[in-house]
Amino acid sequence: MSTAQHSPLDAVHRQLGAKMVPFGGWEMPLSYPIGTIEEHLSCRNDSVVFDVSHLGTVRVEGAGAFQRLQLAFTNDLSKVAAGRAQYTHLLDQTDASVLDDIIVWWVDDEVFDVMPNASNTDGVRGAIGGVETTHDRAILAVQGPRAKERLATVFPDAAAVGRFRVSTLNWEGTTCVVAGTGYTGEAGVEIAVPNAAATDLWATITSAGVTPAGLGARDTLRLEAGLPLHGHELGAGITSLQAGLGWVVAWSKPEFRGRTALDAERTAGIRRQLMGIATDGRRPPRADCPVLVGDQAVGMTTSGNFSPVLGHGIALAFMPPHTEIGTEVAIDVRGSALAGRVVATPFVAKH
Amino acid sequence: MTVPAHLLYSRDHEWVALEGTRARIGITDYAQEALGDVVYVQAPVVGTTVAAGDSFSEVESTKSVSDIYAPVSGTIVAVNEALGTGPDALNTDPYGKGWICEIEMSNPSDVEGLLDAVGYQALIDG
Repeated sequence: MSTAQHSPLDAVHRQLGAKMVPFGGWEMPLSYPIGTIEEHLSCRNDSVVFDVSHLGTVRVEGAGAFQRLQLAFTNDLSKVAAGRAQYTHLLDQTDASVLDDIIVWWVDDEVFDVMPNASNTDGVRGAIGGVETTHDRAILAVQGPRAKERLATVFPDAAAVGRFRVSTLNWEGTTCVVAGTGYTGEAGVEIAVPNAAATDLWATITSAGVTPAGLGARDTLRLEAGLPLHGHELGAGITSLQAGLGWVVAWSKPEFRGRTALDAERTAGIRRQLMGIATDGRRPPRADCPVLVGDQAVGMTTSGNFSPVLGHGIALAFMPPHTEIGTEVAIDVRGSALAGRVVATPFVAKH
Repeated sequence: MTVPAHLLYSRDHEWVALEGTRARIGITDYAQEALGDVVYVQAPVVGTTVAAGDSFSEVESTKSVSDIYAPVSGTIVAVNEALGTGPDALNTDPYGKGWICEIEMSNPSDVEGLLDAVGYQALIDG
């Protein structure tokens, strides 16, 4: 195992008193001194900025780039165009497991920035080729109902980038790629900025009243928004269909990696389905806890935590297909049964 | 990281405030800092007997769950009911409003195995 990689903003985080933790081969901020819950609520009520430089970037360009991505990924790039972003999956050829969930930034006609999860970058590059540019830039995710309003005071062009739009913009002489994407369920943008300007941009954004937030809040926010985390809701043995992400799969495309196996599952029917569970009380359910209906273990949680907005526990779990919303369940957390029920996701509606 | 001089400490990062044979228990500033935001405390039940070293409570943060070990043997005689709705007191006031329970000691010499503030400070300074 190699030593941890560090963000170009590493010194800034330490200066702010962040608690640093290993994550996907990187050392990144878990939380700042105000703590995960305050950071979480800042994102729901106002605005936060995350350093997500650990996300991979693979630049794929040239005449064959579009076709390479079309053949590799499940979603249909022809539904969008240059200047747009698209969420997509890379499947295992043999069993249609989701090898990674990815955002593609279609930067220019024949230029794509493919953004895998940190630890999956090499695997994704193996499938699509391209050049890894992860270490050339930082990525700042500015999220929250007031994120764009605050960003507009310091980088108005970035604040004007719409949902799932991608623009190449100039910030004080530095070229940035800005996408209207995120992982919190809130409005906002993600800004790829060259390393040399990353610290200045971070300082500028925080000076506009945007609160720094770490991976702890990123996880509770994505969970409230019902968004999957690779390694939990997606990964080995888990298909797009089981995860309830069938909309990511473009069956109209004649070919994509893993199509045959996924088609077979579609025909046979999924054996399990990802669902939301709300539990009574503050005790957080966790990942890998059995879910019971009556005294029968029927499912397993993939993620769970305390919802800072709702004030009770929430979990995502694989359940038998067609389990009805409202079904009373219990989650077995280290021998204690947490009462709850199946609910629709997102747990927390978007602002 | 505060380590009040008048308290005793376990190696598992609990503090003990003695009043005669009664010991009030909580987790240290160091422990709450390491745990992160506390969202739930599984309080012990009044009347339960505990032996020093037993896990008798759980503290859950957004990050993880930690066992709390009884620093002394005895009977639980009080629990901090306010933690039911305000477990964040463990973060904001670990030595005050964040107290977890009180134990009536069955073996007061248990305290001889605890650290004083200087000893605990040395432990966390590693």
